Amino acid sequence: MFSARISKIILISCLGFFGFVSASSSSEVTISHYFSDEFGKENMGKVFSRFEAATGNTMKESPVGHEDFKTDILVRGASDSLPDVFSYWAGARVQFVVDSGDLSPIDDMWARDGLDGIVAKAVADSATLYNGERYLIPMQYHYAGMFYNKQVMADAGITEMPTDWEGFMELCETLKGMGIAPIALGSKFRWPAQFWFDYLILNTAGPEVRAGVMDGSIAYDSDEVMAAVGIWMDMVNNGYFAANSNADTWTDASDKVANGEAAMTLMGTWITGYWNGNGLTPGEDYDFFPFPTINSEAPVSVVGPIDGLVISANVQNKEGAEAFLSFFVSDVDNQIEWTKAVGAVSANVNVDPSVYNELIQRVISTVDGASNFAFNYDLATPPPVAEVGLSMFQELMESPDDYGAILSRAQDSAQSAFAQ
Amino acid sequence: MEKSAWIWRVVFLAAPVAVFSILVLWPLFSSFFYSFTNWNGFNPNYKFVGFDNYAKIWTDRLFLNAIINTFVWMVAAILLPTLLGLGFALLIDSNVPGGKVFKSIFYLPICLSAVVVGQIWTWIYQPDWGLLNTLINFFLAEPLNYPWLAKPDTSLGSVIIAWSWQQTGLSMVIYLAGLTSISEELLEVCEIEGTSTWQKIRLVLVPLLTPATVVVIALSVINSLKGFDILYIMTGGGPFHSSDTLAMHMYNESFKKYMMGYGSAISVVLFLLALVIIGIYFRELRRLDEIYG
Repeated sequence: MFSARISKIILISCLGFFGFVSASSSSEVTISHYFSDEFGKENMGKVFSRFEAATGNTMKESPVGHEDFKTDILVRGASDSLPDVFSYWAGARVQFVVDSGDLSPIDDMWARDGLDGIVAKAVADSATLYNGERYLIPMQYHYAGMFYNKQVMADAGITEMPTDWEGFMELCETLKGMGIAPIALGSKFRWPAQFWFDYLILNTAGPEVRAGVMDGSIAYDSDEVMAAVGIWMDMVNNGYFAANSNADTWTDASDKVANGEAAMTLMGTWITGYWNGNGLTPGEDYDFFPFPTINSEAPVSVVGPIDGLVISANVQNKEGAEAFLSFFVSDVDNQIEWTKAVGAVSANVNVDPSVYNELIQRVISTVDGASNFAFNYDLATPPPVAEVGLSMFQELMESPDDYGAILSRAQDSAQSAFAQ
Repeated sequence: MEKSAWIWRVVFLAAPVAVFSILVLWPLFSSFFYSFTNWNGFNPNYKFVGFDNYAKIWTDRLFLNAIINTFVWMVAAILLPTLLGLGFALLIDSNVPGGKVFKSIFYLPICLSAVVVGQIWTWIYQPDWGLLNTLINFFLAEPLNYPWLAKPDTSLGSVIIAWSWQQTGLSMVIYLAGLTSISEELLEVCEIEGTSTWQKIRLVLVPLLTPATVVVIALSVINSLKGFDILYIMTGGGPFHSSDTLAMHMYNESFKKYMMGYGSAISVVLFLLALVIIGIYFRELRRLDEIYG
């Protein structure tokens, strides 16, 4: 009835979005990425300069805002106008694009450039393989932990950070008693709340149950999830979270901690890039501690995203695209510069941990010491289901007493989304 | 008609017809087509699912929520700018001091894009330092830091106020144009007969402004059906879908949940809804044409 390609292009155009189809010269590699703020663009620009100097290729970028990127890449995929290379989040999101046939496998490049000996095996196994083939190289990985304001803790007389749940609750109660909001959460754009959901399930029911929730085999209103969310909701009811979390972004919440209005926030290591950029010093002004243990029987889990680079199926300059991916992950100097700038950790085994500050070195030790690295919620479950859960988190923060009904409704919606 | 004139008409019409066909008709029919598929937006191997997407609409509680919000949005987006525009037009037309300045000020927001308006009002509603809470706090002993856009009870209403702020200027200008067409003699007769201001407005001005009202309402309906950008900027349909309209729901299902087939079905329903409303509008327009010539 319709030419599929033309139909797609026009349908998208009608909805007001336009992909970019650009002819590229033989040495030009087109790339789209979500490191679009001033800081991210500057650092990506430095990577491009290093790559161009090393290989003679030229990079042509089209950066898109982090949240808008999720839609933009779909639009470009739908109109067959994906760039040669784009950044994407390892896990269910890459799986979704792989299943749609929009990515080019990189197994040949991986073997040719010896990436088995460069990329940490745990990261390579969990983030680069999809349907038995390699599609992604890790740009870096992040870890979500409890980042806190050292001065606020010192003023409250707290010198030892809690390692178990009882100690953590005592800490919250102490801070609350002093008139300081113990925890800041910026759930305006929903995703920052996911780390609470992730860690509470992992720490109470364990990775297998959590994996079941992510793949739909365990219900959102199961006893295990109810119990985990119940702990979270008790904290909300106890006033441990700063007011109006659904009105704040993650940077608003980070600012509250930095300003001393709140004591801590559960956030990824990118917060260190943000705070360092605002003149805070790691280890002096702020620090972190791992999410406290609730059930000592549960394996120690850490949560975080892995940002990656992938090559589209309609790549115009495959050689250049592969060269860029290989350079990004293999070049040790590039990995050090990039990961230090964005407050992340390199997955390249040749990067000496001592190049990082003491705080990031402890992050590396924490991740190395964990028996399970889990992708955060919206990267671990299929995108249609993630949409259900992300809205659910906001609703939980608004109506903590109704969490049973909220989880039941989420289960209905998730079931329908899984069926798609 | 001369043959050369006919050829030129075809030539000049060809470009707009081609643009209209490519950018409106083709997507329209494509939406109908994809609404019968399970296309996810990426995967070219979609399947035909018959009327499954339409059947799903009736069991989707978020769709019902979006229909209710769309209805609230449309009614409010018609009433507020229309009534406020009429009020301001009557006030300015009565030669109130500074009327011309106020006319320019009230019209100014319509010159701004919805994105700018959305951002301005997002700042106004900011709970900690926003203008609204700051003003309210002048009168309160305990500081209020109510998050207007982050509460489900007030999110949609807050956006409606921002939207009305922008649209009122347009209504006002249309009503002012309508007021200039009312004869001075008629108004003088009212003065001589000793009618009160309220009677003059109710019995003379408002009925004679009916054609202007039809235009204002038509524009309000059309603009409110298109109202997506300001909602996207201010709330994104949240928190937890409390300000989702049909257009926003369609966007979320298509581009966030990657259910392009289902999103297309919602867009078809939105199209049919718009068709019914525009049909009613044209019928009323014809009726008024017969009355007012």
